[in-house]
Order: sequence, then structure tokens, then C-alpha cells
Amino acid sequence: MPAVRVTFHPDGTAVDVESGSTLLDAARKAGVMIASICGGDGICGRCRVQVRSGTVDAAPTALLTRDEIQDGYVLACQTRVSEGVEVGVPAEARGDGAQILIDEDARRFRALAPALGGVQEYPYDPIVRKLYVDLPPPTLHDHLGCQERLYREIRRHVEPAAMQMGLKVLQTLPRQHRDSEWKVTATLGNRGETTEVIQVEEGDRSGACYGIVVDIGTSTVVVHLVDLTDSKTLDAEACYNSQMPYGAEVTRRIIHAERQGAEALRDAVVGDINDLVSAIVARTDVELHDIAACFASGNTTMLHFLLGLDTASIRKSPYVPTTTCPPPVRAAEVGIRINPRGLLYAMPSIGSWVGGDITAGILATGLADTDRLTMLIDVGTNGEIVLGNNDWMLSCATSAGPAFEGSGVKCGMRASSGAIERVTFDDDGIHLETIGDAKPLGICGSGLIDAIAGLFETGHIDRSGQLLPERSGRIREMDGLLEFVLVPAEEAAEEEAIVITQADIENLLRAKAAIYAGAKILLESTEHSFADIDQLLIAGGFGNYLDGRKAVLLGMIPDIPTERIHFVGNTSLNGAKMALLSRAAFERSREIARSATYYDLITYPHYYEEFMSAKFLPHTDLELFPTVGESIAASTAERSGANR
Amino acid sequence: MTVEIPDVKKNWPHTINAVTIGATSAEGGTRTSTVTIGGETTLPFYHFEGTMPNKPVVAMEVWDIPAEDWPDTVREPFADVLADPGAWAKACVETFGAELICLRLKGCDPNGADRSPDEAAAAAKQVAEAVGVPLIVWGCGNDDKDNEVFPVVAEALSGENCLLGTITEDNYKTLTALGTAYGHKLIAESPVDINMAKQVNILALDVGFPSENIVIYPSTGALGYGLEYVYSIMERLRIAGLKGDKVVAMPMLCDIGIEVWSIKEAKAPEDEVPGWGDVKARGPMWEASTATAYLLAGADVLIMRHPEAVRITKETISRLMGGGA
Repeated sequence: MPAVRVTFHPDGTAVDVESGSTLLDAARKAGVMIASICGGDGICGRCRVQVRSGTVDAAPTALLTRDEIQDGYVLACQTRVSEGVEVGVPAEARGDGAQILIDEDARRFRALAPALGGVQEYPYDPIVRKLYVDLPPPTLHDHLGCQERLYREIRRHVEPAAMQMGLKVLQTLPRQHRDSEWKVTATLGNRGETTEVIQVEEGDRSGACYGIVVDIGTSTVVVHLVDLTDSKTLDAEACYNSQMPYGAEVTRRIIHAERQGAEALRDAVVGDINDLVSAIVARTDVELHDIAACFASGNTTMLHFLLGLDTASIRKSPYVPTTTCPPPVRAAEVGIRINPRGLLYAMPSIGSWVGGDITAGILATGLADTDRLTMLIDVGTNGEIVLGNNDWMLSCATSAGPAFEGSGVKCGMRASSGAIERVTFDDDGIHLETIGDAKPLGICGSGLIDAIAGLFETGHIDRSGQLLPERSGRIREMDGLLEFVLVPAEEAAEEEAIVITQADIENLLRAKAAIYAGAKILLESTEHSFADIDQLLIAGGFGNYLDGRKAVLLGMIPDIPTERIHFVGNTSLNGAKMALLSRAAFERSREIARSATYYDLITYPHYYEEFMSAKFLPHTDLELFPTVGESIAASTAERSGANR
Repeated sequence: MTVEIPDVKKNWPHTINAVTIGATSAEGGTRTSTVTIGGETTLPFYHFEGTMPNKPVVAMEVWDIPAEDWPDTVREPFADVLADPGAWAKACVETFGAELICLRLKGCDPNGADRSPDEAAAAAKQVAEAVGVPLIVWGCGNDDKDNEVFPVVAEALSGENCLLGTITEDNYKTLTALGTAYGHKLIAESPVDINMAKQVNILALDVGFPSENIVIYPSTGALGYGLEYVYSIMERLRIAGLKGDKVVAMPMLCDIGIEVWSIKEAKAPEDEVPGWGDVKARGPMWEASTATAYLLAGADVLIMRHPEAVRITKETISRLMGGGA
């Protein structure tokens, strides 16, 4: 097959691909981020690009309008190239504003979870540490070998454990001992019951010992650099998960791995981690060589992809993962570039659909250590929920869908520059806040919640979420579908109105209903009600800027006293950091993963009914939302008064 | 030896709304009689436990255009009157004992005859003038068209206190406004789902339509075609209403004829399905059997087609209410 050149604009990135390749393949090869929710099935319409020169072979699609087709727009996944082409990637299809996202996310994710009462404190005892030892030189009476001599000294400082050492370390040991006049620094890493001497350095290097913590989210990868000598977080970086082009949802990516192998998925996420670590290292005076540990958290599938493990059975009944508790391995084995002998640890998972991110969340919030009944909701594509206390824990995953992350929404986008993240309705109109104070480009999950809650509160939608055109001139009909104009074309960055469509509202309603139904079923299965919840914890990168009152108004979370609701931030990351810094916390995470029970909601006989009753604003049964009921009554009275 | 029979009587805290359809001249309409449904304090026909002050009623179905696609069995009794809605309605009431007339505005369907709102209103007037019983008017099922037709029809029948339908979760605003403006009751439709039945009622209540003016239509399936699903939804709606859920404490309606007369069991002649018996007897029996099941589920109004099925069903109601044959 002859090679043809594809050039992507505005960056001008060029790549040579085989004739017959799709534009999406070419973009992946070129490292150009093009959104794809369906993973290349040609059904989501998100990978719209504009062919500026050259001829392509585009499969017919109903997802483009006649005007768009005339302007050269095609779906990247449905378009094959046979000659050199120039392609424009529009902002909405691009992973644009990445730098801003990094800054914003770094800011958001840097903060540790607010301390909750009763959170277990774990002793400082990192799973990887450096120990400086001053060895007694050998004599005729003390003639232990170099390895045994080192082990003996180490055991004086750390609790006795089985020790091991790699051949490469052993080979250089005699020279190092003598060159350093018997003063060496050993890097010790925990591998289960065994302590490994990962490396030996000459002299006292014990002050330079770092680890990275990685949260691999389905859409975002976050890395923190931690100083293992004093537990301080030095820096943070975040980026989009480059697996995105293989599908926005976990299942899509598993299918991709089944069909075309998992290497591309592993390479994508490992590449992200390496890029983020490089960026941090470039800013700080930390040497890559001194980063001796990487602790990864994420859902079960993400951790499988990272480790190159088979994911096929996660997707199919009876939903068995390759492992819930991956062993420590050399980070270099999967391609992570830190110290070549540095260790990679992964958070143990509870099951196939409740992963290490949730174990980490339980650890970080102290859910398993409190006698108060606690519910943890990790708001995201899978919407995992844990209910329990120090006695028991029950977890489930709800298929909330990607609406909270701005996907599957007409003008949706991830939380990056230009995303509307807050919306307030008042007498003067609608007030928007965008990330980076940029001109609005689209709307992200928190903005969508704010906006739809506002539409409900102001009577622009009814309790079924239906837009009421008679309420406002901002509601218009486009292609037979009602939509609310949040930002008129002249005020938007792309000079195209930013709208919330009837379908977007339905998507959000489904997402919030799935979470609420899951929460209700967990409670009912354990003979509790919402009133019994002592603390409701909302986690997720998203949770940092979620307006709790609006979430209650929509019926996404139950109407319980607001003082019981806490936003706990990225607990996946925080839990992983605790495990990195404390062996006891890591051990606790394994206990948590073993002791939490997974409840498959599909087996619950009335799941669908609970879901349907929650697919209403705030809920079909208004008695479950007394404060919302009062506010509906008040605003209805106000409106009918105003109409008179 | 005597066996103690345990007292299983329940005392339900709430009563199902009673809904009156039709208005006499004293009440601002032109009906010669009205019908009241609902008002139950117990489950259907549990006379030992509570009261069922109003017996279930049978409405017969009339179309604004000749019902060409009705099977022969059910067209034959009306062969002479199919072209004239007024005469058709009169036959239903005077010959076959219909307690209400349900005028279905099938002719307005934009995929069919696409008749105008004025033509629909004329048909409605014709029926109203021909008979004195209360009226049910059912749209063609196309939301946009129904929203054009009902304003004219509701006005034409102003003050008659008809039962108009249907409102759904997606289309309730026009009819609730018309019901309020012209004094009609409404049928709230939902697709065999207890939550959606509640939701459509809530939407109507939220725009100020009184719950006392709503009749629930939880969808209907013919015997053998999902009847048991509807049955359990109706049973649960009624229990919820009796327990005090005001949003569903309403009478229920079943649209029997249209469902039964579209299935093979009621239509297929014996030479096509040997052993199934004479279709002329089978069809009406199927309709009557379906109706009986729904009576036991809590139906307050049954919309039916075949005179023989109507006769059997009315007799069943009479017996279940404690009367003789």
C-alpha cells in the first residue's frame, strides 16, 4: 500500500499513513486528539473534521448537514484517504486548551480532601524509602559478605523482613562499598512480605527520595509528585486520557482491545504518565532517577490497561478481572520512565466494576473506619457508590453515562479553557463563569448541572425536563428538537450559539436517575433510608465544583441536611497517596478491597422502576425531596403572581 | 367442628376520587344523564371490606369516519350507521345499551383522512345531539394534530363535561388548558409504568389541573398480549391510591375494543386457524374476557366495540356488584 500524507490543522501536524487508512487512524498516529465517543463506529458524530484540500472517500452519514458536507466536513472515523490531504480539526473535536486544563486541574486536584472527623491516621512509613547506612568494614572476625553486611545493617533500622536484591545491584555492591568507604544509601521497596533493595547509591542520598501518584481516570490522568521523606506534594500535572480516541466509555475501549489488541491503550496511558512526569521534572529540581515509586489508582479496567492485562472478561458475565490486587512490578516493565528499577504499585480493586479508585476513596475518606453510616458517591461515567461503615461496606456501579463529563451533550466539552462551569439565573438574566475566563466555547458537567437546575428553578422546564417554549424567547426549535440558548452566537467563542437541547436534558436526567436509584437501592437492600445517612460524601474531580444545593434540586443526591453532605475531591488520588506514604494504609486498602461487597444492580428486581421514578425532577415522589417541594411551591406561586 | 375464619378486612386510609362525566341542562350541558365513576374505598368488588359506590361503566366506541379497518364481526352490527357518527352513537346507546359514547377522532390522523378540526367538531356535535349519554372524545394520536383539533372540539362541546384524551408526559399542556377553559375532564395516559402514570398526573397538577378531574389510562393490552403486565400496574396504582398516594387516587379507564379487535385471536376466520372455533363467537368472547379481567384489576370505564361483548360485560358488572343477571 502506498503511503499518503495527512496534515492536520491548525497545528500543521503531518503524518504518513497507508492509503485506505481513516482520518481518525491518521490522527491517532499523528498524536492529534480528535474526540470520538463511539470509538469509530460512525454513530456519535463527534469526530467532525473539515477536509480543506485533497479528495477523500467518505462513507455517507446522517450526522452531517447538507451545508456541512458542502463545506467539506466529514466524520474522521468514516473517511478514508488515498491521496495527500489537508484537514482542519475544529475546536469542539479537538482536545483544546490542554495547558489550561492542566493548570486548572492541577489547582483543583492539588488540594487534599477536607479532613473528615474520624479519619484514621496512618503512621508515616512509605512503601519505598531510602536508608543511609554506615557499614562497619569487614574484619577477620566480621567477615560477612557485602550483601549480608548490608542486610544486617538494614535490619537494625527497619523491622525484620525477608530481603531480596537483584543481580545487577549485587554485581556493583563490592565496588560501591569500597568507593564510598562503606557509607551507602539503600533504596528499599516493599514487595508484599519481602523488602527489596532496589538500588544502592554511594554516600548519603537519603534526602532525595520521591514517588509519583497517578489517578488514571477514564477521561483525565492526574499525576502528583510526592517527596517521600516528608510526605509533601511538590507538584501536580493533569491531561486528558489519550485513550479517548478509542472510545469515551470503558466498555468501548475494552472492545477495541479485544479487536485490535490492548497495546495501543497501554501505550496511550503510559505516554500520558511519562509526559506529565517529564513536565513536572522539568519544573522542579527532582531527578527522574530519584523517583523510586509510582502508585497508580483508577478503575479496574484502567489499571488493567496500564499493566497490559486482559480486559475481555471484565465486560462479559460473570465479569471476572485478571486480578483485583496486582503485585508490585518494575515500573519500567510497563514503560513508565522513572528510576529504571523503581516499583509500580496499583490500588487493589473491589471487583470488575468497582475499582481501585473506590478502594482509594474508602481509604481516603475513612469510610471503613467510622461507626457512622456513610455513603460515598464517585460522580463520573460509572457513578460508583459505596455505603457502609467500619462494620460492613456495600458497593455498586451505576451506568450514569458520560453526561457529567460533558460528553454526549450537544455543546458539551470537558472542563478546559472556555468551558462554562457555573451558571446562575437571577432577575438580571443568566450569569456564566467559564474556565480561564475565556469566551464560552461549550459547557462542562458542572455547568450543565447548574444550567438545568436553573432552568427547572425558573420554570423553563417542567418536572419531566421538558422545555416550555412559552416561558422564554431563548427556547427555540432546531431540526424538530427544542433547545435553550444559553449563549447567543455573537457571544460565543465559535460564533455558534451554545445551547442545551431537550436531548441533553434527557441525558442528564438519565445520569442523575441512575445515581439516585443506585443509592436508594443500596440503602433499601440494607434496610436503611436516606435519613439514616450520617455523612454523604461526593467525590470526583467533578465534585470539587459541584453546587450541592443544585444537585439536590435535580434529585441527583438525596434531600438530606446540607451539613451532612461533604465534597471530598479526588479521593482516588488521595487514597493512593496515603498508601504510598504508609505501608499500613496500603495494607488497609487491601483489607478494604477484600471486605467490601459488590452489588450488581441489574440483579435487583426493581432497579428499572427505581430508575424510572428518579427520572423526574427531582423525583416522582416529591415527599423524598421536601425542601425542593417547598421551593417549587414558592417559585410557582411567585411566577403565577407575576403573570397576573 | 367450627373453623375460625380470620378477619382479613382492611381499612384503607384513602378513597379513590369520584369523577362525574357529562352535564345536564341544569349543570350547563345538554346531557340527559351523567355518569359518576370511582369513589372506591376498597379493592374492586371487595364489598365485604369497603364500598364501591359507583359501578364500572361501559362506553361504546364510535368513529368520525367509517371504521373500514374493523374486522367484519364487529362491523356488521353497525353496518347501516358507520357513515354517520350520530346514527352510530344512537344505535350504541338505544340498541346496545352503551352508558357513554367514546368518539375517536380517527379521521383527523394526518396519515389517514387528515380531516380538519372543524370537521372533527362537527362530528362531535353530531354525536352530542344524537345521544344524551356523557361523551368521551379521543384524539387521533398524533400530538401535533390533536393539539390543533382539540381546541375546536373542546369549545364545540363546551360545558358538556366530557372526558377528553389523552394527555401524556410529552403532550399535556394544550389539553389541560382546554379542560380548564371549557370544563372537561381528562384522560392521563402512560405506557404500562406506575412511575410514568404518576409523572403525567403530576405534570397536569403542576399546571393547575385538578386531580379530581383526571382519569388514569395505564394503557391496555388484549388478553394474551401483555394483559398481566397492565393488570399488575393497575392493581398497584389502585393500592397506592387507597393507601393515600393522592397523585394516583383516580378512577382508571381501559381501551378494550381497539386492542382486542386488532389481534389474530379475535379476527382470524376458522379456516385459517382450525380448532379455534367460530370467529363470530370467538371475537366478542375475547373482548368480554379481556374486559372482565380489567374489571377485576380496577377498571372504572371500559371502552368497547362489539354489542355482544358489551352485553356480557354489563351483565358481569351487574353480578359482581351484587345484582342479578
